[in-house]
Amino acid sequence: MTEAATDAEKNPPNELLFINWLEAATDLWSNLAKTAAPNPDGSKQTKNAAQNRFLGQWKTNLSLMKSFSQAMNESESESSTAQAIDVLPKIILRMSKSGWDTGFQIQKHLLEKIGKIGKRTEAYNFDNLDEEVFKASTEIYEKELQQYFHVPPLGLNRYYQERLSSLLDKHNLFENTLAEFLSVLYLPMEKSFKVLQENLQSMANEGTLPKGTKDHYAMWIKILEGHYMNLFKSKEYTDALHKTLSKMEDFLLAKNETLHDFLQLLPIPTNKEMDELYKEFHVLKKRVKELEKQIKVMSKANKGSQQSAPAG
Amino acid sequence: MTQTKIPIELILESLAEDTEKAQKRAEKASDVLLSPLHYDVASTPYDIVYEEDRVKLKHYSRSETAENKLKTPLLVVYALINRETMLDLQPDRSVVKNFLQDGIDLYMIDWGYPTRKDRFVTIDDHVNGYIDNIIDFIREKHQIQKVNIMGICMGGTFSIMYSALHPDKIKNLITTVTPSSFDTDKGLLHVWMKDIDIDKMIQTYGNIPGDLMNLGFLLLNPARLMIDKYVGFMENMDNKEFVENFVRMERWIFDSPDVPGETFRQFVEDGYKNNLLIQSKMYLDGKRVDLKKLTMPMLNFYGKYDHLVPPESCDQITSAVGSKDTEDVCLETGHIGIYVSSKFQKQFSPKIAEWLKARDQDELPVPMPPKKKASEKTNPLHKRVTINKKPPTRKTQTKKLDQLTKGNNTKPPQKPPSKGKSLLMQKISEII
Repeated sequence: MTEAATDAEKNPPNELLFINWLEAATDLWSNLAKTAAPNPDGSKQTKNAAQNRFLGQWKTNLSLMKSFSQAMNESESESSTAQAIDVLPKIILRMSKSGWDTGFQIQKHLLEKIGKIGKRTEAYNFDNLDEEVFKASTEIYEKELQQYFHVPPLGLNRYYQERLSSLLDKHNLFENTLAEFLSVLYLPMEKSFKVLQENLQSMANEGTLPKGTKDHYAMWIKILEGHYMNLFKSKEYTDALHKTLSKMEDFLLAKNETLHDFLQLLPIPTNKEMDELYKEFHVLKKRVKELEKQIKVMSKANKGSQQSAPAG
Repeated sequence: MTQTKIPIELILESLAEDTEKAQKRAEKASDVLLSPLHYDVASTPYDIVYEEDRVKLKHYSRSETAENKLKTPLLVVYALINRETMLDLQPDRSVVKNFLQDGIDLYMIDWGYPTRKDRFVTIDDHVNGYIDNIIDFIREKHQIQKVNIMGICMGGTFSIMYSALHPDKIKNLITTVTPSSFDTDKGLLHVWMKDIDIDKMIQTYGNIPGDLMNLGFLLLNPARLMIDKYVGFMENMDNKEFVENFVRMERWIFDSPDVPGETFRQFVEDGYKNNLLIQSKMYLDGKRVDLKKLTMPMLNFYGKYDHLVPPESCDQITSAVGSKDTEDVCLETGHIGIYVSSKFQKQFSPKIAEWLKARDQDELPVPMPPKKKASEKTNPLHKRVTINKKPPTRKTQTKKLDQLTKGNNTKPPQKPPSKGKSLLMQKISEII
């Protein structure tokens, strides 16, 4: 039996092919790594050291793959691999099931949340006070959805993520509050039309209906003005106004913080940086102006004393 | 069957007439709006005589032919909200022109447009910095010891502070629609400002944006300022002169510089929230603003229907200051009606000129005290006058018009607007 025949017996053709490919690949990458010319100066010694480390690691990996390939070829391993192949579908099934369960749980959780939204809205009476809708929507957001923006982010970018989540959260809160505020602001408009309608009805009954459109308009605008004045004096309106301003400011601050992150990537100074500079500039300017004034007073006094001093 | 009381045929007829009129108006309006319009504001010529940072000092040349020229120049300090151009809004309704024709040597501060770099500028920087430097400049230029000062709205508050801190430099003080006592619930602004989170606001915006303040002012009376005003415009937009004046007013209203953050903070905290000024408890850079040190003659104007600075916020200052020669004048108008309404201009500018003239000469005796009211016993020279909407008598009016014509050499006096179109502008100015 020839040596080649012995090799063929030891290693089946596919295995031989793999080992040959491994050896060829090792030679190729090793030679490629060696082609780098030796560096005369010390500064490049580090680079050589890195090359050697790379070669060493490369060889280790190839040896590992070789031994793994050989190990796989042995009979015990063969049976083990066959068993593994049998088990594989079960494992995949288990993994899929686990993934499915997780997905299902999330879906179930979301459905529960949506269900709660329904329950929450049912608790309010919308028949008379439309603005309750906005309060309810804010409450739903705060209780059911806001928590997703508060999930603690992890890793290197955690602070950036946190600021972005905060921006989205603050934006949603501002939108809700603004909608509520606008609805409050629209109330006098709605009521003024109702009152106008009633007035016109009673005037029609009395036969004193205004003939011109201008008169109708004048009547309506007066009613509207009265309603607005009443609304503006109410505590509810003042509260809604302050709440809206506050939420808008929260949103703008969050927006500024996020923008700050982006601006830092660019060669553009942020407002925060400029404000620090402006403050220093302001203080310095104030001091310079004060000193200028003092010098002016002193030079005037000097002139005065020179003039009053006897000549010669 | 009973006959209906509603004159349906008349209503329909009126509706048809209105529609036809509106159509004709729209046709004519397009010609007006597409034609060249002149709506420049602040057309009276002036020189910039002093500049510091963003602040400029305007000097108007008074008519040399004016009789009884005042010796002491008058410095007008406008508010930081909106612009001083309001005093010279349109050629035929200009407080500036009236002052010049009355012989007043007029200076006016233009605060400019604060930018982000001005956010740390405080009330002290405005009062003891810019205003003081400007007063010194005028004193030096005219070689005089004292200057007359007139403050408008927030500018009036600054003028009070300045006069209390530098009484040696101020001859006479005039305040117009000036908030000095903030502990009142009459004005919506006072109510809204009390609970405002000023720190957060400054942190957010730096300077308080002019647009935000304008929105706030519009919300004080949305029915009139956001609807009725523009309906009025639609009804008169075929009238070129009306359109020009309307656009002038719009340009002024929405020309709102931002207010420096730190100045706004102190104004809200020391004024609206803690009401320190009227109690002489306010401090500027460590110096107490003691109103008892305000000893020069003081004339105080305010509007009876002013919803931004209600009378309750203006009428306490004369009894809180140390001056013995004070006068309150209540005009039956709104916040800016005093300056832009032709009706009140006829009373406002001549009153100031007369009052200043009476106090311009050192040798002139101080006017005799009026009849005392029971509540005014402590201040023997205090006067309280209410000027109602009734215009002056024909004789007086003619005399004043003669004076105006005499004083205006460069341009002939413009034809006064017709009654119908002036009414809406009048209304608008009184609402604001």
